[in-house]
Amino acid sequence: MEPTDLRYHQEHEWIRVEGKLATLGISNFAQDALGDIVFIDMPKAGTMVTAGQQIGEVESTKTTSSIYTPVSGKVAKTNAELKDHPELVNADPYGKGWIAVIELSSPKEVDALMTAAQYESFLASQKE
Amino acid sequence: MSGHIVILGSGPGGYVAAIRAAQLGARVTVIERDAVGGVCLNCGCIPSKALLSVVELGDKAKKAADLGLLLEGSVGYDLTRMVARKNKIVDGLVKGIGTLFKTWSIEVLQGTGQLIDSRSVKVVKRDGSETTVTGDAIVIATGSSWPNLPLFPVDGKQIMTSKDALDADRAPATLLIVGGGVEGCEFAALFSGMGTGVVMVEMMPRILPLEDEEISAMMSRELTKRGVTTHVGTTVEKVERLDGSVKALLKNGMSVETEQVLVSVGRGLNSKGIGLEKVGVAVGARGEIVVDARMETNVAGIYAIGDVVGKAMLAHVASAQGKIAVENILGHRREIDYRVVPAGIFTLPEIGRVGLTEQQAREEARGRGDNPETAVKVGRFRYAGLGKAQGTGDTAGLFKIIADAGSGRLRGAHILGAHATDLIHELALAMEARLTVSQITDMIHAHPTFAEGILEAAEDVNGMAIHLARKQSR
Repeated sequence: MEPTDLRYHQEHEWIRVEGKLATLGISNFAQDALGDIVFIDMPKAGTMVTAGQQIGEVESTKTTSSIYTPVSGKVAKTNAELKDHPELVNADPYGKGWIAVIELSSPKEVDALMTAAQYESFLASQKE
Repeated sequence: MSGHIVILGSGPGGYVAAIRAAQLGARVTVIERDAVGGVCLNCGCIPSKALLSVVELGDKAKKAADLGLLLEGSVGYDLTRMVARKNKIVDGLVKGIGTLFKTWSIEVLQGTGQLIDSRSVKVVKRDGSETTVTGDAIVIATGSSWPNLPLFPVDGKQIMTSKDALDADRAPATLLIVGGGVEGCEFAALFSGMGTGVVMVEMMPRILPLEDEEISAMMSRELTKRGVTTHVGTTVEKVERLDGSVKALLKNGMSVETEQVLVSVGRGLNSKGIGLEKVGVAVGARGEIVVDARMETNVAGIYAIGDVVGKAMLAHVASAQGKIAVENILGHRREIDYRVVPAGIFTLPEIGRVGLTEQQAREEARGRGDNPETAVKVGRFRYAGLGKAQGTGDTAGLFKIIADAGSGRLRGAHILGAHATDLIHELALAMEARLTVSQITDMIHAHPTFAEGILEAAEDVNGMAIHLARKQSR
């Protein structure tokens, strides 16, 4: 079950909105598909990003995959813990494995993102 | 033809030339002012690899618990012992060259040589005595050295060259490396592995500016993984020696304070003070001795090889040039060809390359009037896709093959990852023999090996790699 307080993106990122700030990470499905994560290339704080844009990369022992932002705004901060402990994304993708916080410039973009239930059916449809 | 060849310098150019000349029947005298083997053997290639191999092992040992290997305590380094081991290896190899020289009856004169005419070299020996050697031909193989840059007052302690760094007795807490080229990146890998906080400054917009852009970006990431901070597109404007640290001011306005500074920029060519002007040997603007494809200078009978001719400054190129020079002297006409020069960068992980970068290949296609996008094809395969790499845990890396779309012939190849410097030779040989991508894929590659990455990347040139997911046509 995906956490219901988050919104999801078809590229398997999630965001948690608190006021003007959106915390971003990758979903449990994504971390599981990637396998052991060894490095996360994160955007620099202060970078302006646009919804749909690639903002970083996740490298695992299997592959390297892009991180897309589902929302626009300014990167407020990134998870410094991941520098030394990228495996946190595997262990706790919705908690300690968060990747970045984005200061939303168009909060309305959030409405277009999937709810937990919608994301679950999206995942189910992907499997078929 | 026999005869007497006098060789000035015994680095990887000079000593190889000496042995080849002796094999072909010449009498050979080698003049060396320092140690036989030159920079490569004594304070370059071999020493750095001896130290890097320990850090490579340490990197793996740090993952021991994950691998199920039980090691007590934490991984640490005793640099004094590492350097002692390195010195022993170097001594052994230097002695080995001495033994080879003996078996070929090659005479070694320890001292500083200077040309006095087109056939004679005056040698000032270490004890101050002088002697003159006259031969039928002279080969200049004096190499290159660490430049004296006024901006960086090297004291061997706070501000070092790579030569000093190879004899360091402990790893500094923090180190600024000036120059993100081959040497800078290798030392960044070495010291970061030993726990040093490394900051690297590169003038060009990217580290390893001569490498394929994709490979250089990957190495940048690998260094970030090791905790190295890199500043590109800027230079060090000023260094200030403080008590126990050095403060560097960068052009971009930043200031970096570290315990030590390693200067890894440029090499000076050793063409001064060896009597070139006296005998009229032509020298270019950078101080390089001008030679033809037979390695002969403008003065008949005087040849020059290695770093001092200012081509690819690589030990193996010097060796190749050395053989060409003496073979020509001894009546075997041969010309040097720089079309296929494999090179290795001994970072962690390594880089191997041969031929053109993707950018150069596309630029070349454009120059021919072809469409640079379609005239060049690129095949890629990641180490992570190899069973062998999964087994050994060396999953970081990429095989990249650049081919001419029309002929299928290789234009270049680049490998970043475990054993890349060895693996590149299959592709170098393929280029040397002017093979096509399909000739590589026709050959059965053994499983499970890293070399399978070459097969897969070659197949990917035509979108046919077995272990790559079907590409979506967009």
